[in-house]
Amino acid sequence: MKVMTALVTLCLLFLYSTAVFAQSLEDRLKALEETVEKQGQMIQEQRGLQKSMRKEEHTIDEQKKLIEKLQAEIKQNIPAAQSEDANAGQTAPAGEMQQQVQELKDKVDQVAEAQTRTFPSIFNPAIGIVGETIFGYRSKGSAQTGNDRPGGFDVFQRSVELNAAAAVDPYAKAYAVINGSADPVTGELALGVEEAALQTTSLPWNLELKAGRFFGEFGRLGYIHDHELPFVNRPLALAQYIGGESRTDGLQLNWLVPVEHYVSFTAGAGNQFGGDNPPNSVGDFRHGSGVNYWGRLSSYFDLTPDISIEPGISGLWNPKTDAQWADPGGVNPPFPTAGNNTFTERERRLYGADLVLSYKPLQNNQFEGVTWGTEVLYSDNRYDVTDPSRNALPGSTVGSVGLYSYLTYKFHRQWSTGFLYERVENELNKQDKTYAYSPYLTWSLSHWNQLRLQYTHTDHNAASSLSADNAVYLQWAWIIGAHSHGWQQR
Amino acid sequence: MKSILLLFPILLITGTLCLGASPAHADKIRVITTLTDLADFTRAVGGDLVEVKSLATGVEDTHGVPMKPSFVPIMNRADLLVLVGFDCEHAFLPALLEASKNPRIQVNRPGYVDCSKGIIPRDVPKSTDHSEGDVHPYGNPHYILDPVLAKTAIGNIYNSLVAFAPQHKAEFIRNRDAYLAKLNAKIVEWENAVRPLKGTKFVSYHEHWPYFAARFGLNYVGTIELKPGIDPSPRHIQTLVTEMKAEHVPIVVREPQFPEKAPKRIAEQAGATMVTLPIMPGGVPHTETYIKMMDYIIHTMVAAVPAKK
Repeated sequence: MKVMTALVTLCLLFLYSTAVFAQSLEDRLKALEETVEKQGQMIQEQRGLQKSMRKEEHTIDEQKKLIEKLQAEIKQNIPAAQSEDANAGQTAPAGEMQQQVQELKDKVDQVAEAQTRTFPSIFNPAIGIVGETIFGYRSKGSAQTGNDRPGGFDVFQRSVELNAAAAVDPYAKAYAVINGSADPVTGELALGVEEAALQTTSLPWNLELKAGRFFGEFGRLGYIHDHELPFVNRPLALAQYIGGESRTDGLQLNWLVPVEHYVSFTAGAGNQFGGDNPPNSVGDFRHGSGVNYWGRLSSYFDLTPDISIEPGISGLWNPKTDAQWADPGGVNPPFPTAGNNTFTERERRLYGADLVLSYKPLQNNQFEGVTWGTEVLYSDNRYDVTDPSRNALPGSTVGSVGLYSYLTYKFHRQWSTGFLYERVENELNKQDKTYAYSPYLTWSLSHWNQLRLQYTHTDHNAASSLSADNAVYLQWAWIIGAHSHGWQQR
Repeated sequence: MKSILLLFPILLITGTLCLGASPAHADKIRVITTLTDLADFTRAVGGDLVEVKSLATGVEDTHGVPMKPSFVPIMNRADLLVLVGFDCEHAFLPALLEASKNPRIQVNRPGYVDCSKGIIPRDVPKSTDHSEGDVHPYGNPHYILDPVLAKTAIGNIYNSLVAFAPQHKAEFIRNRDAYLAKLNAKIVEWENAVRPLKGTKFVSYHEHWPYFAARFGLNYVGTIELKPGIDPSPRHIQTLVTEMKAEHVPIVVREPQFPEKAPKRIAEQAGATMVTLPIMPGGVPHTETYIKMMDYIIHTMVAAVPAKK
């Protein structure tokens, strides 16, 4: 029994141990299989790596060959580029590129260098010159016409005008007009400062202040330079009552009235206003009453997009003047019988109204347009009269009226024509009347080169001691350099 | 005479006060532009936040807008002045700026919006001598006729609006992007339409078209004007006709502000077709906006050369 039990136990142990051994062998085999599999995978990966390594090696070899090839080409091309003059047109692309890069670099260097350059003239003002010559023929001599130009053939270098303008600082700009013109008698050049003024640019409340020597704002054409007039000569009424251009040494304030409509108001005061003949003398001490005061109110209305109207009124007053005039002669109602008396202007009063009606089609305003301008002046000066022995005679005021009216028709970019009518009474003798009629034709070759042909018939009434005359003028005006008179002289 | 002189100021003052009483729109950004294309761009970017007025109506010459005093009060109240630049407005803008007495829009101030900023000019003259006519010293200023360069102008307008009213930046961006999207789509359409005309030669009265020609691949061969601002001489016209015949130039462009007579005669003599093309919106009927104007220009050009379609 014991033996049987022992045998069964041994069998069981054998079976168990066999089972255990079989199980462990299976595991080992599995593990071995896994290891082999992993090793296979690793071998595959290694083979892949080898392949890619070979590829990379091949690529590197190819790149090396390419670099060697390019280096060889560059070496070949450098001499070709260096001998470009001898082998023009045969330069290889790489050399050309190098050269182009170098040229570009040189250009950039030049531009950079130019930007760093300094010029002594860099802050110079804008400068321009205007020249104006008038070739004329008058049928009567100056004694008969009262004109300072002689009769017969005449060449008059009316002006050589040097303009300079620039900003002074952030608050103001300044400009100067130096004018040289031929003396009517001697023909010698007379040089003068026509304008030299400072103009503010940043005053509040729509204000602008001008100070120095300038053309004061009175009327429509009083402050326009001669060469920019629509006809050859300054209208007789302006010459008679203002004395030419409205030049003054003074101060002028302009106010753009802050409403939606354009309204401009100007007021000024100055030592003189207009021409110097007769001199606006006030003796050795000038009171406030000896200064000229002037003002102007102007506006503008668009009647249609193409038609506009621009009215204005002006006034000039000098409460106490001391300008002496020779007796104009002839019949002179407010004053004693004419003789060799002396007239002394004691108070200067001048009123003006002007109107400009324009047709400027928006679409082709550079080729077509009509402008009608009229200005009426009323001079109301008060005079003292003394006889040759300096005895006082009864004085009086003289209310004289002068006007001019012109119509200009522009029918081509370069061509325009027009007619000017003038009528003026002598400011000392309103019975002495002068009339003038002037057709004119203007040829503007460009903005800077203009010719104008004008015929003027001047007539006088019986109260005048002057004779009627006919004149033909050819005006040639030119501009070089910068030229702009700003808004006032638009 | 005295009574007439007295009546005049009374009428002047009364009329002025009656017309000058209307109120300003203070709640919007007041923008004045020199030309109508810039007004169109500003309206597109600014939307309801801007009140835009243009000095030009569209039919004028870009260099010859009449210098009306009625512009002065508008400029006096403007917050921004938008201009083409490259001296395009040299004939009228400096004096108007002086008269406006508005420090906000003077040169180099933030309100002075020069749309040429960022544009590389074409045809910069080697010399500014007037023997070359009324040259533009900074180069040809007609870049807005290239719609791609017009986007630079729009960008400059956007920048100025944002600088003036940064609180509305989001709206300006939205407006600008919407307009640019529309313009970009149109540019593709225009390029496709003009593609058959590539290389087509044309002449015009004034030098308005170099940027346009470069953008659309056309060949701009000359002008009827002798020099900028200088009328053609008979000899120049004869030379131009001979050259046009030799080079088979099929189109003569006449800008509406120039007389029809010379371009028409040149077209007849050279066997070409004359077309009238606007240079800014409003130049001819149905071109009220920039896109409508470019549509008109492209379609007219294409229609003028049927053989190449």
